[in-house]
Amino acid sequence: MSTPNDTLDCGHTLAELSTYLDTGEFADPGHLNQCPECQAGLAALGSISALGTDLRDADIAAAGSGTDDWMQSILDNLRLELRPGRSIPVRGGHADDILSETEGAISAVIRSVADALPGTAAGKCRLHGDVGTPGAPVTVSVDLAVVYGHPLEQRAAELRSQLAETLSQQTELNITSIDVTITDILAPPPSADRTRTTPEEKP
Amino acid sequence: MTGSPPAPHHLDAVPDALLAGRAADGDTAAFETLARRHGPVMRAAARRLTGSLADADDVVQEALMQAWRQIDTLREPGAVRGWLLRITGSRSIDHLRRRRFHTDVDSVEETLDAGMAGRPASPDPESSAVSGSRIEALKRALAALPEEQRRCWVLKEFNDQSYEDIAQTLNISTASVRGRLARARVTLAREMEEWR
Repeated sequence: MSTPNDTLDCGHTLAELSTYLDTGEFADPGHLNQCPECQAGLAALGSISALGTDLRDADIAAAGSGTDDWMQSILDNLRLELRPGRSIPVRGGHADDILSETEGAISAVIRSVADALPGTAAGKCRLHGDVGTPGAPVTVSVDLAVVYGHPLEQRAAELRSQLAETLSQQTELNITSIDVTITDILAPPPSADRTRTTPEEKP
Repeated sequence: MTGSPPAPHHLDAVPDALLAGRAADGDTAAFETLARRHGPVMRAAARRLTGSLADADDVVQEALMQAWRQIDTLREPGAVRGWLLRITGSRSIDHLRRRRFHTDVDSVEETLDAGMAGRPASPDPESSAVSGSRIEALKRALAALPEEQRRCWVLKEFNDQSYEDIAQTLNISTASVRGRLARARVTLAREMEEWR
């Protein structure tokens, strides 16, 4: 073994080389290219890290797929609690009724409208404004991902009009504007995996 | 057209950042898609850190619970994988600290690789036999490392965590992380006869 201790004959240490592998930082960068000892040390440490990546890949393969039973069982155990968000008052049919709906429920409505459009999926959505005060102006912002090939402006316009209609039916919010931000263009699904025709195809 | 419900795997093609935004709004389906996507690497890291198949699944479950509670604090929604692995690392270390008084870690280490043996061979038997035997040798060399060095090594090579993250997870200084990681690599390289 040519490295009986951790300091090489050139005066640099294996710890310095190990740090260089991770951070690219070295006190004397010019030295590395000229020193055969440091080169050999870097090659050996690099080869161990590469083997570590192979072990990780083998362990990930052995861990199974996220669609397997083990993950389903973990998800079943989680019982994710809901995030209600703010409480939004709703007038009841009777003056003594105190009714409300939650911000979380309205987010879910917004997502379901966006997800139902062809080739789109909702991201985060926000209600801006004082939703606790009936009649206060509220603006809605929605992030949207659109599958490549779908008309962006048309999808955004469809989403705005459908949201305006749905939210006016299902809430009493005074919505003054709906801002749609297209944050992602998604790769189209591989056609071989689809038995259904894509939404854009005409019969 | 608009009345049809989304396909069951509607969210599979959606990138992490978008799913993280939905999950922060309370969308459990988006969170579960993230969990399924990154669960295998979380499980692999937890297995290597805890050395136990059963403990690893407990750790993944705890890590996902914490992730669900904290996902609205995630500053870079695109960095979900690294964030989940950091949480997995912390929960694994906590698990080991709790377990230390109950079980001998070295005997559990054998459980891990015994439990993972007998996997189907890869389609290229010759090269996989060579790299497979080197991976087996690395597992043995890793198992022989001092516990603190092995933890540093796994948090770096499996979880790709920064020295600062590892220091925080293990409650030691970054200088200690640098030193332990170097010693782990040097020992592994010697065991694997990487020097010539």
